Amino acid sequence: MAQLLKAAAYLLLLCVITVQAADLVFSKVTLTLSEDDRVFVDAQLKYQLNETATEALENGVPLTFEMRIQMRDADAWVWEKDIVEYRLRSVLRYRPLSALYEVRDLSGGAKQVFATRISALRYMGRISDLAIVNRDKLDLNKEYLVRLEAYLDVEALPLPMRPKAYLSSDWDIEAEPWEWRLKP
Amino acid sequence: MGVAAKAMKQKRLDLLAISMLVVLLLAALHMMSGAVQRSEALDQWFLPLLIFTVAGLVVLVLLVGWSVWQLLRDYRRQVAGSRLNVRLVVTFVMLSMAPVSVVYLYSLQFLSKGIDSWFDVQVDNAMEDALSLSQVALDLHKRELLTLSESLLTSVEDSSQTALAFSVGDMRATSGAIEISLFDLQGKTIGLSHQNPDVLTPSPPSGGMIRQAVGGKNFVALVPVKNNQLVVRCMVLDPLKRGLLLQAIYPVSDTLSALTTNVQDAYEIYKERAYMRGSIKFSFALTLSLVLLLGLFGAAWGAFYTSRRLVQPIKDLSEGTQAVAEGDYFKRLPMPKNRDELGFLVDSFNEMTRRIEQSRNVADASRRELQNQHNYLGTVLGALSTGVIALDEHGLIETANPAAEQILHLGISEEQGKRLDALAERDEELRPFVDRIAGGISEGHAEVTLYREAGRQVLLCRYSPLQLDNQGTTGHVLVFDDVTELVRAQRDAAWGEVARRLAHEIKNPLTPIQLSAERLRRKYLKQMSEDEGDVLNRATNTIVQQVEAMKTMVNEFSDYARPCKMQPRPLEIDVFLADVMALYEGGLSRVHFFPNAPGCMIEGDAIRLRQVMHNLIKNGQEALSEGEEGMVQVSSGLYEYAGRQFVQITVQDNGCGFDADSLDQVFEPYVTNKHKGTGLGLAIVKRIVGEHGGNIRAENVSDGGARIVMRLPLRPLIENKQEEITAVKESQGNKA
Repeated sequence: MAQLLKAAAYLLLLCVITVQAADLVFSKVTLTLSEDDRVFVDAQLKYQLNETATEALENGVPLTFEMRIQMRDADAWVWEKDIVEYRLRSVLRYRPLSALYEVRDLSGGAKQVFATRISALRYMGRISDLAIVNRDKLDLNKEYLVRLEAYLDVEALPLPMRPKAYLSSDWDIEAEPWEWRLKP
Repeated sequence: MGVAAKAMKQKRLDLLAISMLVVLLLAALHMMSGAVQRSEALDQWFLPLLIFTVAGLVVLVLLVGWSVWQLLRDYRRQVAGSRLNVRLVVTFVMLSMAPVSVVYLYSLQFLSKGIDSWFDVQVDNAMEDALSLSQVALDLHKRELLTLSESLLTSVEDSSQTALAFSVGDMRATSGAIEISLFDLQGKTIGLSHQNPDVLTPSPPSGGMIRQAVGGKNFVALVPVKNNQLVVRCMVLDPLKRGLLLQAIYPVSDTLSALTTNVQDAYEIYKERAYMRGSIKFSFALTLSLVLLLGLFGAAWGAFYTSRRLVQPIKDLSEGTQAVAEGDYFKRLPMPKNRDELGFLVDSFNEMTRRIEQSRNVADASRRELQNQHNYLGTVLGALSTGVIALDEHGLIETANPAAEQILHLGISEEQGKRLDALAERDEELRPFVDRIAGGISEGHAEVTLYREAGRQVLLCRYSPLQLDNQGTTGHVLVFDDVTELVRAQRDAAWGEVARRLAHEIKNPLTPIQLSAERLRRKYLKQMSEDEGDVLNRATNTIVQQVEAMKTMVNEFSDYARPCKMQPRPLEIDVFLADVMALYEGGLSRVHFFPNAPGCMIEGDAIRLRQVMHNLIKNGQEALSEGEEGMVQVSSGLYEYAGRQFVQITVQDNGCGFDADSLDQVFEPYVTNKHKGTGLGLAIVKRIVGEHGGNIRAENVSDGGARIVMRLPLRPLIENKQEEITAVKESQGNKA
């Protein structure tokens, strides 16, 4: 119980959000301050590919998703630089020979295969213990804005598909941005 | 720098800007085309290039739209050259649109068919078959390895997990696997053997693999690893029910791996392209369409630019012609750069306007000279005291000088363009003048007498033909002088000379006659008898009386002939008349005075005017019949005529009046109705009045009696008197 309380004391904030039906949904996001004063992010992004994207995937078109995590001064102007910015890019691809779904992490280079699309998407949507910033780098008197975005990178599609993708809402696959005000 | 040069420079800048835009758009389209053809270098630039091209195209469309709007506006306003401009633009656009459209349609069709030809049913089937063959081969390999894995577990009969853990090395060595690992049913590692001794942890199985194997369906899959190598990964449940799971990872031979990888890559590429067939067509069609639109709108703008350049000299010529038609002879057109037929036409136009301008300058100089002559003639005519009226060939009044208006007392300029009769219609007193002119003056000049309200007016007229132009059109010029005063002066001078001679010739013997008669009476009266003396006395008395009478007559002649010596001074007329009338108060004949000009002053000689009044009153008294009804009325008043003010003095009696036949000559010398008198009284009166600048006339009163009306000019008034006169006039109006 005491450990739980201590953990709760370290917990700066915890947010669980559920957004209405969309292609991508942040089903759970957690910000945690560890004992060594580092802020961690845990998140679960739920992918719901529409028919167009699924068809493209099954026909061998690789789909690139990007999750962007940024932290900035809440009062900062638009042109001011972010304090923290992470771009986690993953490519989902179907391998017809093995009938497996391959997930490749473009940030780290790791590659995972999955027998089903659902398990591959679940794997892609999971962010565990991602340390984004040290507390000592933050001004304790300021308020910060943490923002998570996730979307399909249309620019990574094969070029012939892009003109249609620019015009079609089927390819406008993105999550409702998640924002949280953080006071260290 | 002139306006034309600035406009030319601006046009050049516009042309340069548009040309650069078109070149940039073409370059962007070329790069887009490269990107579509899978050029990796341009792949990232596809979207910016697309945006730039579309934006440039929008700018081009706006430019063309603006040009179209300007052209339609000019066309509606019927601006010079707009119709030709429209025809040229439509022709150019149609000429460029037709071949480009044909090429576009055929290119689109060729492109579509060309892309479709990439994908053939046989190729599809071959690819599917190759993939299936690979899958079958791999499945067979996987099943063999799965069976091998199951046999590895059954080959170890020991049920101890520790013993099994020690035997995994043998299993790996027997099977030739890369890795053999043992797990319990919860996924906890029991034993591991890896071909690399440095690897101390097994490849973690996924939950799905464990659940599938525990569920009774052993797992086997072909898994890609690094360098596109394939491995076969198996997870089997211990068939001896010892609560164990065995994971085995077997290598796939390099040949099989390479072959299957190649098949898979080829299949994926083919499948992807087959899927993107529509998108590829769309991308190429989009690029081609952008090229088409760029070409069309570029050609359209070029058509506008070219037609404007072609039409501009024609437009200038049209505007120049219109300007010349409106009288602008200074119009010069800018010379086109090309010395072609249009340049020659513009040059000829400029030469024409130059010559017209010179001719106009000469005509202006002639007109100015003519105007000067006209002004000179007008000044001369205006300065003439002789009246001049010019009539055209139809007898209509063309011009008249101011002297004519003064002589005729009529504004002739208002009657310009009318016949001479119009003058008589406006002033009936001019009828004799008009009739005399209409009757023709054969002898060249004539004397016309007008009986005006102010008295008789004698005009000496000359009527001459006047050549109006070179075609023989002939009008007339009427020249006339007012010789009334001249005639009167001549007559007065003649009568004066008669009187002077009479006085001189008669007066001299009268005194000796009178003295002789008195001497005769004085010397012989005493010597004669009473009867004879009585006769002598009567005879000498008669001689003396007649001589006295003749002396009186001679003196009057002398007075009439005597030159005037005026001593004018300001006189207030009512006061003056009242002074004169005081002499007649209490007389036998009633004389009444009615003053109606209070405060009105004249410049006059009081003695001579007194003589005038005495003469007139005396004449009136002499004309009265005996009785109580006889009465002489003297009145004063103000009178205005032709903008001038007069004092009017009227002496009226109710006697027998003037003889109607001699009414016009009552003021002539020796004209009298009386038995006694010289007939010089009224002549002297008229002379004195004339010397005062006035006029006098006589008339008979309808009820009986005579009336003498005398008008003397009013002395110029000071301002404070003007109000009094106005008041007097108002009072006169009230009395009337």
